[in-house]
Amino acid sequence: MRVFSFAHLSVLALAINLAACGDSEPTTSATAVTPAPAAATLTTTKTADTQAITREQVISHYADIAHATFSDAHSTAQALQVAVNVFVAAPSAQTQQAAKEAWLAARVPYMQSEVFRFGNALVDEWEGQVNAWPLDEGLIDYVDGDYQYALGNDGATANIIASQSIQVGEEKVDVSELTAELLAGLNELGGSEANVATGYHAIEFLLWGQDLNGTQPGAGERSYTDYLTDENCTGGNCERRGQYLKVVTDLLVDDLAEMTAQWATGNPDNYRTELLADSAEKGLRKAFFGMGSLSLGELAGERMKVALEASSTEDEHDCFSDNTHNSHFYNAKGVRNVYLGEYKKVDGTVLTGPSIAQLVQTADANADQLLQAKLDATEKSLQVMVDAAENGMAFDQMIDPENTDGQQIVRDSIAALVEQTTAIEQAALALGITELNPDTADHAF
Amino acid sequence: MFKKIVYAIASVSLLACSNSGDPYQQTSAALAEQVIYQAHQDWQASNQNLLSSAQAFCQGEQDLTQTREDFLQAQHSWAALQPLLIGPLNEGNRAWQVQFWPDKKNLVARQVQQFLKANPEPSLASLERASVVVQGLSAYEYVLFDPELDLADAAQKQRYCPLLENIAAHQQKLANDVLTQWQGEQGMLAQLTRFPNERYAEPLEALTAIVQAQVISLDGLKKKLGTPLGRSIKDIAQPYQAQSWRSQASLSNLSAEVESALAIWQGAEQHSIRALLATEHADLVKQIDAAYLQAQQELAAFKQPLTLLLQDEQQRQALFTLYDSFDRLHRLHEKDVARALGVQLGFNAHDGD
Repeated sequence: MRVFSFAHLSVLALAINLAACGDSEPTTSATAVTPAPAAATLTTTKTADTQAITREQVISHYADIAHATFSDAHSTAQALQVAVNVFVAAPSAQTQQAAKEAWLAARVPYMQSEVFRFGNALVDEWEGQVNAWPLDEGLIDYVDGDYQYALGNDGATANIIASQSIQVGEEKVDVSELTAELLAGLNELGGSEANVATGYHAIEFLLWGQDLNGTQPGAGERSYTDYLTDENCTGGNCERRGQYLKVVTDLLVDDLAEMTAQWATGNPDNYRTELLADSAEKGLRKAFFGMGSLSLGELAGERMKVALEASSTEDEHDCFSDNTHNSHFYNAKGVRNVYLGEYKKVDGTVLTGPSIAQLVQTADANADQLLQAKLDATEKSLQVMVDAAENGMAFDQMIDPENTDGQQIVRDSIAALVEQTTAIEQAALALGITELNPDTADHAF
Repeated sequence: MFKKIVYAIASVSLLACSNSGDPYQQTSAALAEQVIYQAHQDWQASNQNLLSSAQAFCQGEQDLTQTREDFLQAQHSWAALQPLLIGPLNEGNRAWQVQFWPDKKNLVARQVQQFLKANPEPSLASLERASVVVQGLSAYEYVLFDPELDLADAAQKQRYCPLLENIAAHQQKLANDVLTQWQGEQGMLAQLTRFPNERYAEPLEALTAIVQAQVISLDGLKKKLGTPLGRSIKDIAQPYQAQSWRSQASLSNLSAEVESALAIWQGAEQHSIRALLATEHADLVKQIDAAYLQAQQELAAFKQPLTLLLQDEQQRQALFTLYDSFDRLHRLHEKDVARALGVQLGFNAHDGD
């Protein structure tokens, strides 16, 4: 048996001294999206405690961060629920805007939670109902004539809101009464993963509507009048549309409450207890697998590279609202949170504790420095993406084949994430965590 | 898919590395020359032929049947390259320029139509500026095989021919460029043969890259079969989500991939992954030999295209069995072979699917 070696070991030679780790938010003009700036710059991970921390403490704190993140996702979804109820009760441009802003704010913690999805099968299996994309939105509501959907998907134009029953293949479903159970059961209708009836993106579509601008400026432009229950109703079936929006928002809140409870302390039967009862090595493997999978396969690959190379606005993550830049930023932030063992809550306080970074620093200071440098570089690249979007070039404009500057912004972020992934492999290796694959990380396929 | 920026780390542990007589070096070199480079040459030749074929068809010197045959050959040689995707084809977006899959929302149809609307007389330059979806074999397949198009119709043939010729020209150019990067003193072939070099510090790294490409491909086989089977999503068939459903070549592509994965396993002449493990891991070798044989036999037993098989319950069950065989092969390589060789596989693009 030879010495273990990663395929891309070579980057190790770049020993870089870096100033670590100020917490940052994407600078943005939309206050609803971004909480107040951090009160203080964090220096937690630089302290390099000589006091030894154990792997068990680190995994326990990993679960704390998961709990705090899901807890914020839950509370911001509750705020969204309030805003949606107000909007549906009294539709106006103002109440619609308030609901949109609540949705954008709810995305901030949720996107940071996705790093827990990969590696923890429980989260991954739960996720479909909450954040599935891309969707054939014609399943839910009216769509434009030029709408592009999955070939062979009968559900793609079913329009639940306008129907009392829908037929997909041999399945005929009564949809006269819109309930959470019914709508959750319609996800993946007919076996097509493009049939998404619930979750953040269903809500996003109901608030913004289709983005018909392709790679040109502009997001979805649904009018609040789609929710007026008098003769001024536009788009038809306004009352059912309001019901639909309320039902899926309620379901989202319930789903997030359930996941938050899975990570809470003091419950002998929840996932946290199971995770901590297992070996710390397995816990670390899950944490590393989550960081690497989100960085490379999901964020750099599915969410950026596919959209970029195919110039496909259909493959843009938050395609109705054009919030994709923030979603990407906070996805990457989640990876950073897990490594540094810190999470800035929506109330502005910062949760810190025993971190993977500290373990790596003790085992191999170079590996730690390298990964911290790469995490910083990724955040900087994504900040450039956020800045560009805030200045009028949204993600769907960046992927226009004629927009070489925009494409470069996306390419730079992908490249940063690729390098970050290599550094994650190195950090894992420093702790003797090998075999970073889905089977060993308990990832469900 | 991604370019790895590699800096020499000559100071680290390289002194111990001697090239001659090192079984890892010999294996890397032999597989590179006799399996991987060979497959790249076959692919390049099929693209050369694709260009002549497109030109002959568009000049009225060749019929549609032969034109489709030539496409199938190019597609087959591309499928055979999948377990061997290391180096230049893995960098930038080159592989994406050849094939776009999964195509969840039928982008190929939409983008070909949009492209031709914007460029009624497309040039090679305009094609190369466009989305990868219209640059490669996926778009070529759409034009030749889509049920809603008919190249027997003169007007349609006139409309689509410039696109076919430019795609073929682009593919040929791409293949020539890749092959050039395999050649020469600093070429990919040399980098898999002599160590240390700019890409690999030692033979173990090269072998790791070879095994990783093979494992990614075996993982991909599961996705390519599992998606149209509707596996893990209610088990309802999704025929239009299959790779190459238009040309009905889905299963033949999978066979080509299995054959190339096997070629890495059993190699050429005396050097192979199998040979490295033969003495100390005889049981594992037996299991893997059997797993390849089983997958081959199962594939050979299917006599119809995938889209038809999916409509038949008994055949569908047989396809699920084939999926299990791919899964076995994947696991044996990803876990056991990697462990036995002492290679550490990094993250890949399938993680998180």
